[in-house]
Parts: sequence; C-alpha cells; structure tokens
Amino acid sequence: MGIPIKKKLLFLPAAGLLFLAGCGNNEVKPVKSGKAEVPVAVENIVPVRTAVGSAGEEEVLLVPKSAIVSRGELTGILVVGADDRLSLRWISTGRMMHGEVVVLGGLDKGEFVVGTYNPTLNEGVTVIKSPRVTEEVQKK
Amino acid sequence: MNEGIAGKLAKQFINSKITPLLMVAALLVGIMATFMTPREEEPQIVVPMVDLFIPFPGAAPAEIEARVAKPIERTLTEIPGVDYVYSTSMPDVALVTVRYKVGEDAEKSMVKLWSTLMKNMDKMPAGVQFPLMKKVSIDDVPVLNLTFWSKSKDPFQIRKTAVEVADELKKIKNIGDVEIKGGLKRQIKIVLDKEKLLKYNVSPLQITRQVQMANSQMTSGDFKQMNQEIVVRTGTFLESASDVGNIVVGIYGATPVYLRDVASVVDGPEEVNNYNFFGWAAAAPKGSVSGEYPAVTVTVAKRKGGDASVLADKVMERVAGLRQTVIPSDITVTETRNYGATASEKVFTLLEHLLMAVVAVTIVVGFFLGWRGSLVVLASVPITFALTLLIYYLLDYSLNRVTLFALIFVTGIVVDDSIIIAENIHRHFAMKRQPKLQAAITAINEVGNPTILATFTVIAAVLPMVFVSGLMGPYMSPMPIGASLAMIFSLLVALIATPWLSFRLLKTESGHHEEYDVTKTGYYKLFNKILSPFIESPVKRWLAFGVVGLMLAGAIALVPLKAVQMKMLPFDNKNEFQVILDMPEGTSLEQTARVTKEISAYLKTIPEVSSYQYYVGTNAPINFNGLVRHYYLRQKANMADIQVNLVHKGERKAQSHDIAKRVRPGVQQIAQRYHGNAKIVEIPPGPPVMSTLVAEIYGPSQSEQIALATEVKKVFKETPGVVDVDWMVEADQKVYNLVVNKERAAFRGVSAEQIAQTLRMSLAGMDVGLIHTATDLDPVTIQVRLPQSDRTSLHDLSGIFVQSQGMGTLTTRLRAGEMIPLSELVKVEEKIQDKSIFHKDLRRVVYVTADVAGATESPVYAMLDMDKKIQKIKLPAGYSIDPLYTASPTSEDKLSMKWDGEWQITFEVFRDLGTAFAVVLVIIYLLIIGWFQSFKTPLIMMIAIPLSLVGIIPGHMLHGAFFTATSMIGMIALAGIMVRNSVLLIDFIQIRRAEGVELKQAVIESAAVRTRPIILTSGAVVIGSIVMLFDPIFQGLAISLIWGGILSTILTLVVVPIVYYMAEKKSEKPVITKKS
Repeated sequence: MGIPIKKKLLFLPAAGLLFLAGCGNNEVKPVKSGKAEVPVAVENIVPVRTAVGSAGEEEVLLVPKSAIVSRGELTGILVVGADDRLSLRWISTGRMMHGEVVVLGGLDKGEFVVGTYNPTLNEGVTVIKSPRVTEEVQKK
Repeated sequence: MNEGIAGKLAKQFINSKITPLLMVAALLVGIMATFMTPREEEPQIVVPMVDLFIPFPGAAPAEIEARVAKPIERTLTEIPGVDYVYSTSMPDVALVTVRYKVGEDAEKSMVKLWSTLMKNMDKMPAGVQFPLMKKVSIDDVPVLNLTFWSKSKDPFQIRKTAVEVADELKKIKNIGDVEIKGGLKRQIKIVLDKEKLLKYNVSPLQITRQVQMANSQMTSGDFKQMNQEIVVRTGTFLESASDVGNIVVGIYGATPVYLRDVASVVDGPEEVNNYNFFGWAAAAPKGSVSGEYPAVTVTVAKRKGGDASVLADKVMERVAGLRQTVIPSDITVTETRNYGATASEKVFTLLEHLLMAVVAVTIVVGFFLGWRGSLVVLASVPITFALTLLIYYLLDYSLNRVTLFALIFVTGIVVDDSIIIAENIHRHFAMKRQPKLQAAITAINEVGNPTILATFTVIAAVLPMVFVSGLMGPYMSPMPIGASLAMIFSLLVALIATPWLSFRLLKTESGHHEEYDVTKTGYYKLFNKILSPFIESPVKRWLAFGVVGLMLAGAIALVPLKAVQMKMLPFDNKNEFQVILDMPEGTSLEQTARVTKEISAYLKTIPEVSSYQYYVGTNAPINFNGLVRHYYLRQKANMADIQVNLVHKGERKAQSHDIAKRVRPGVQQIAQRYHGNAKIVEIPPGPPVMSTLVAEIYGPSQSEQIALATEVKKVFKETPGVVDVDWMVEADQKVYNLVVNKERAAFRGVSAEQIAQTLRMSLAGMDVGLIHTATDLDPVTIQVRLPQSDRTSLHDLSGIFVQSQGMGTLTTRLRAGEMIPLSELVKVEEKIQDKSIFHKDLRRVVYVTADVAGATESPVYAMLDMDKKIQKIKLPAGYSIDPLYTASPTSEDKLSMKWDGEWQITFEVFRDLGTAFAVVLVIIYLLIIGWFQSFKTPLIMMIAIPLSLVGIIPGHMLHGAFFTATSMIGMIALAGIMVRNSVLLIDFIQIRRAEGVELKQAVIESAAVRTRPIILTSGAVVIGSIVMLFDPIFQGLAISLIWGGILSTILTLVVVPIVYYMAEKKSEKPVITKKS
C-alpha cells in the first residue's frame, strides 16, 4: 500500500515544477501587454451614439464610418472596455444615417469606440480617453 | 490414484515437444493481435439513434405536435426494439428522435423505421414535406480535428484552403466523414436595389424565375449525318458573376433590363453566418502568438471498425505533404483534437500498467516459492493474456480502457492456478518420494480438480455482470467476458504449460528435508495464541463477534453518514472541456460572439489552458456526449460553443474536473451579465445523458408545466452543489406577423403566396441555383436577397414591392405588371414566438436540467436534498408533487415530476449489478454444496463475503473516493475470491478431522497451514490491483479489491475457523463417524 503514496510523492515535485513553469508563463503575459502598462493616447474615442430612425421608429446605434474595421467579410470595431483596454468586437452594420453607420448587432448604447481605426492599435492595449470624451460623459 | 482430466492433460504435454511450440505460438499470436486490434480510449457503444426532421412550413408548434409529431410517435413506438421516442415540435418543423435499445442492429433498425414511416405517410396532413432521416452513430464523432487559422487571411480564404485539403484527405483509405466547420463559402450574391426595381418595374420574384430559367443546359438529342451521330446540346449554364449579371430580367419600354441594372451581382464570400476563432492561451507552447485569429476546422471521422491512431497518423502525414503545395505559408494548421493519439497513449499506458501488475505479482510469488517458482508463474501470465488478446481481436473488441482493465483486474487471479500447481509440484519434488516425472503428475492430479473448481467459482462470480442492461452494458460487458476468458486460459496454461515449465525449472534437491511438524511453525504459534482464547471462552468469542459486527455496522453506517458517497462513475482526467453558451432566443449573432469572446478572454488566463477555439452560429466538432445531446443542432445565432484544450494531463497538477469547477463561476458571471446561460461540459466518464440532473415535468397543459418548471428551477438554483441550471423553454422572442389583407390583395391581383415568397427572398434570401464552375470544390450558390442595410426594420420591409398578376389571378380585372408596395397589402401584428413542445414517449414534457459539482458531486444526494423542497412547492391546484424515481407518471391529469439523467443509468446499473450479485451468491452456494455435500458449511464459508465490506467502505473513505459501479464490480468479484479462501480453510479442517484430529486442534492447524496459500493468492490480488488506483474510473475497483481483500482475508482467517468450531462443536462425534 505504500507504493501509491510513494508514487504520489514522486509526482508532487514534478507537478510543482510544472506549476512553477505555468506561473512563469503567466508572468510573461503581462510583459506582452506590458506595452499596455504604458497607455497609448488615442485622440478620437467616441461614445456610441443613438438616433431615432428617419421614419420615427425605434432607436438605432450609430458609429462613425471611419471607426469600422474590415477583415474580408467580417466587420469589426475597436471598443474601449471598462478597464480602458481595447478589444476588437465583431458587429453587423446596416445603412448610413446622418453620415454615420447604423450598427445592428454587437454593440451597446453608451460604449466607447475608437472613432478612427488605426491599424497600429492592437487588442489589449490600454488607452487614455481624451479630455473631450470625459467632458461628454460628464454632460450626460 | 486414478487420473483426472488435469492429470491426463499434464501427462500428454509435460514431455511433449509441442508444448514449447504452443507457448511460443500463443505469445506471437497475442503480440500480433495486440497490434492489429483497433485502439480506442472508450469502448464503442452502438446506440442506434435516428433523427427525423419533418418539415411542415408555416405551422405553429401546437399544430405540428397534434398533426405530425404525435401520429408519427405513435407509429414508431410500435416498432420492436425501440427504447425511447422523443420529439420536439418547433415552428415549421418537427424533430422526432428514435432511440433503439443498446445493441440493436443499426441497419435493421433503419429498415424497420423506414417501412413504418412510409406506411403512415399517407396519414400526414397536406403541406407536410418529406421527412429527412438521419442516422446518428458513434462513427460520426470526429477523431481528428485540424484547425486552419491565419493572421492575415479572412475566413473566406481560409475555408477555400480547408476545402482543398479536405478533398485531398478524402483520398486516404479507410477515412470516414470529412467535414468543415466555420469559414464563409463562395457565393454569387444578387443584392437587390429596391429603387431600381421599382424604376424598371421588375419584381424580386421575376428575377428568381429568370435566373432559374437562364441557368439551364440540356442534351436535346442527336441526328445522323454521313454515318455519324452528332449530339445537339442547348443552352449554357451560368458560369460566373458576369453571366448572372447579363441575364435579361425584363423589358422596360423597348430596351432590355439586365439583372445588373436592378441589382448588384457580387462574387465573393457569403454573408457572415458564423464566427469561428482560434487562440493560444496561458499554457500555450513557447513562441506561440497571442491574440485570436479567424479559423476553420476540418474534422475527420473514421470508418466503422477502423483504428483512429492509424488514420490520424496517415492524415497528419498527408497534411504535412500538402504544406508546400495546397496550404499557403500564412495559414497555420493546428491539431486541436486527436483521439487516435490519446487512445494509443491510454492503451500503451494500460499495457505498461499490466506489465507492472504482472511483475509485482511475480515478486510476491517469489517471496514464497523462490525465484524458480516465480519464473514459472511469470512465464504463464503472458501466455494467458496473449490468448485473451487474440480472442478480443476475433470477437471484434477493441483495445480500450475497459478491455484492458479487465486484464489488469484478473492479473492477481489468473496467477493462482499456476501458483497452486507450481507450488504442489515444488512440494512433491521436495518430498522426493517418486521419480521426478511421476512426482509432477501426482502433484497435478492432487490439486487439479480443486483448481478447476476454484476457477469456475471465480468465473461464476464475474460472469453474471454480463447482464447489465442499458447504455452501461457495453461499458461493462468486456469486463466479465475478458476476465472469464482469461480465467479459462489461465486454467489451460496451468494444466499444460506450467507442468512443462515446472518440470524443467524447479529443482528436486532442496537439501533440508525433515519431517514436517506443523506445531513448530510460526504460523501455528501465532494462530494458537489468537484462536485458543476464543475457542475456549464463549464470552470472549461473543465479544469478538460483537467487535466484528460493530466494525461491519460502522462501515455500513459510513454510507448514510455520507462519509462515502455513491456515484455511478467519477470524472476522468481529460485534456479538454467545452463551454456551451445559450443566449436568450432572438439574440443577434454578433452579440453572442461578443459574449463568447469575453468568456474566451477569461479562459485564456487560466494557467492550464493551452488553446481555445470558439464557434458562434455553428456547432463545435462533437464528441460522443454531444452526439447523444444533439449538440450538432446548435447552429443558431444565439448559441456558441467554446472548445477548451488543456495541457497534457501529465503536465498539470489539477484534474480536468477541478479546473472545470474552478472556471465555472467566472464563466457564468460573464454570461449572466448579458442574460446568457453558460455551461461547462466535461466528457462524461460513462455513457452520456442529456444532463446529469434532469427533472421531467409532466402535466395537463404547457403553461402549467412551465409554471411548475419555473419553481423547480428555482429550487435547483438554491441548492448548493447544483450548477449549470437550465431548462428547455425558449425565451420570449419577438415575432412580427405580417397578416395579408385578403380583400385588398385579391383586388390588386396579388396572391398570398407571392407575398410570402417575396418576403422570404428579401429577408432570408433564396438560393436560385448554382453556378457551374469546374474549379470550385464547394458548390457555389446564387442567392437573391436584399442588402443587410435594407432589412433592418419594419419600415424597410414595407418598402418592398410585389407585381400584380392582373387577370392571371382570376380575382381582378386590373392590368398585370403594376408594382404594389407590400405595406399596402399587409398588416403588422407583433407577438411572441410560440414555444417548442417536447414529448418523451408520447407525453408532453418540460425539462429542467442541471449538473452537480462542488458541494455534492453525486446527483443522488442532490436529488434527495431537493425532493423535500420540491414537495413544499405550492401548486395552484392545491396538491403537492412527489418526485418519481423509476417510472414515468401514469396519468397526465395532474402535474408530476420524474428524475432522469444520470440517475436513470445509475439506477439501472446498480439494480442489474445487485441482481448479478444475488445470482453470484446463489451459484457459489450451489457450487460449494456440490463439493462439500452440506447445506450448513457453505453458509459458514460465505461469512467472508459481508466481511469484505469492513474493508471496502472505509477504504473508499480513506481514499476520498466515491463508491462507484466499478467498486461494486470489485465487491462482487471479491466474493468469489474470498469464498475460495474459506474453502481452503474448511477443506483442510475436514481432512484433518477425517484423519482423527480433535476439532480445536484441526481448526488451529488449518488456519496455520492454509495462511500461506491464502495470503499468497489474496496478496497477488491486492498487489495486482495497486496499479489501478491511478485511474480515476477504476479506482473504485482497486479500492474494493485492495481494502476488501486485506480486511476480509484477515477476518476470514479468524472468524471463519471460530464459527466453524461453534457450528461443529455440538456434533463433533457424529462428524467423525460420518467421515470414516
């Protein structure tokens, strides 16, 4: 009966080592988003606007056309999360309205998006919201 | 001494030249069989299951239920062999699932189903379309998944590569189904322009008709000319987007209107209908890129009876070959599932464990018989197993965890026959009374027949387990069959090979040969000390019985005290799990994708997760669990699957079940934020069920059922340990009903069908044909649809026009061709989508499902917990419900509830095993009566059986393990082994008493003399089982054998002699006279 316990004991340090290795990996990650530790100032962060459709029907969500990211048939937008990090969100878009694009799915009212898509911006990057945006929020 | 079968056999083979040849041949054949038998991790279960999709366009669930589902269910239950019939009546379609009894022949079942269905098709109402029959089988489960992902390419381009690779893979021999998940297909989109359609007076329906008519080509015949036949062919197929654009769809004034004038024709990817992304996570291999990338998965299934590992190797080789030619350098191919590799790994680990068990047992034997004796035993085991493996191959079994565990399990038992024979030959050689050859044959004659009896006692204990029914049967049956086969072969080996080996290996001159006096041995002194007080003093004797009785009661009490919990099978340590996300019905694809992405971002940070892949709008490649749960139908916009791959189990400390438990709260928190429901789905260790916990709610009406289900769901949520609570009731989804104003439509010359078709085309799009290209492997469809920007609101819908048919409709005299806006003809009604109606065996049912994890791991305890709460639910009708356990309710007039899910299988398995155990006890009783010719003695011998519980139950507590189905198997098998110990003891007492020894002396002597063989055989079982402790599923079996074996052996050596003494004390004199 001692055998399984001994085996387990042998197993422990191995697992422990692996666990340490795992931790190591974990620590590497923040370095990558370490760029994120130095927040990037993005000029044009805008909230998702709402508007009432032309025929007086339901509300629609609008984003600037420049904010749209196209990857083949996929349409996306860079969203600034609550933790000020960027993430790419896939959306479906409708027609143009007041010079902006109607978003049919994937976004919520009041979310912040990068108004002008810049290919250098990556997912996971922390951004600083420009003063203009904060003012707008305060107005609300 | 007359010779029995054993002696005759031994005489034939002990000096034959054939014997070594037979041994070598058996070994070689066994090795060959090992490599030729298909390897897999879990045994294959044939559960013929057929899905019937019966479309009834336009019908509401209630109508489908009454007109389609019910009549079909009724006829299907007539078919012999049908176990369950389930149905789901959804808007527009009925899904009827027929499940046959396990083991029914799949092809025959299909034929029966087909003929029954055809017989009743005439009873279907008008409008019901032809049913689609899909057989669901284990071979549909992909064994290999290849994920194609790219940093720079989009899903459309990746899919193109994947399709080409899939086409190449199909050329491999023995490959099954190759499927592609995700990506976007090429499509010719005819995007209608509403303004232009109106301007040129062209309706969408007209376009469809024109495209269909233009896309035709046919052989018109031939004519003869100058002795030759010349073929005439008319028309040309559409071959490109420009061909499509050049179709004339109407005449405006005097000029033709081309399709490209009223619509844009786009050749490219279809509209986004799925999001399939791949990403490396925290435990990714070094140098992996971060972020997530569009992906397409190629899934490869194997053909029936094929070997997954061989196929996987061939496929991987082929893919490597395609890397330079078909697969561009910027597309990475990652293997995200390889059941072939896991199966090979499992099988080879188990073979290794088998070897370890054999070596361990040999060492034990070595202690008692010396190295020469152990060598004889060691040589006989591989031959036994080689022959068993050959039979596996011939019986079409595969090498899997169950068939191999059957071998490990019997390792300790199969050596016994050889041990007994070798030991006796050894003893006779030492006695030097006869010449060597004669001594060997005498030795075999002496123990041959008891050995045969002992072998059949063990087989009698194991074999009744074959009769476990239901889904668990195929999981279990290789165990008794394999073990019984191995026992029979071990007997043959012991009678043929062991004498030959012993004759050559065992030495005759073992020096010291004195007159053997049992009273001088240590064993005798020990047992004299232990047994004498009990034999002499009745008080002490009863005290001892009291202590043993208390131990037994205490051990059994651990079960109700929940120190040892019952569960059918514990979770295995796998390298994957899935997250199943259900957003409320009516959630857009993008919103689902967003939640899925957020959950994935969390999963990515878990240190044990190596990679993940999510599938939104399309199902993830299924496993056996998904097959039974119908996960392959999860293709709606509100559903998503995340496949989570963990690092190899050797490289992490946590078991997959613990990781799943750990991530569950985090995942569910994210899902709940968006009103979604996320479940963590692990690969079940045994047969899959709809969900671990299922409450089936029956009742007179759907609304009452749902009301009760809401209450039951609440109880589920409040109970600690019950997780992943869900129900099969759809969320309210908004529906716009466009009601055609019949008078107005008739007056304007428009038919209702025209309106319906036009709307369907505009919203869902309509495939109007294929373009005929030689280069594309996927069919390229031509689809007519409104652009997404023109179908976002009711306002857009009403801007669609239909063309008046004029006098063609026979209802109006107006001129045909006028364009009439839809808004003029329809009225919009907003309502809630009807809920699907579920049936199980013809009864309306609402399912509430959940899993158990954390506070309780076993569903039975959670069920008992919730029972009290459910009984307290106040029903409007004034009565309370009492959840049912084993049978469906007899009437639907009252609300009622039945437990199902894992419980159902647990119940069936323990019921069948319990029955098997009872049968085992009876057979053993009969066998011993036959041998000892006494009704009382067998009962004394069988005392050893309950004594094993003293070890088994506390053993489970000590290991913190569940008492599982495998524990039960161990307990049953142990009954056979323990009885054999008692047989050895009592047999010897009777022999001594027949020789005239006094009862007390005989009892003590017997304990002293028989301790050695008893410890030897029990020790072999215990040591051989130790390797099984490391497998989560068969741990229970090992614990039963080890702890039950140790405790039962010790107690048997004390209790059985005392009881026998008590029983025989009164009749001491008569026994002796009877014997003489």
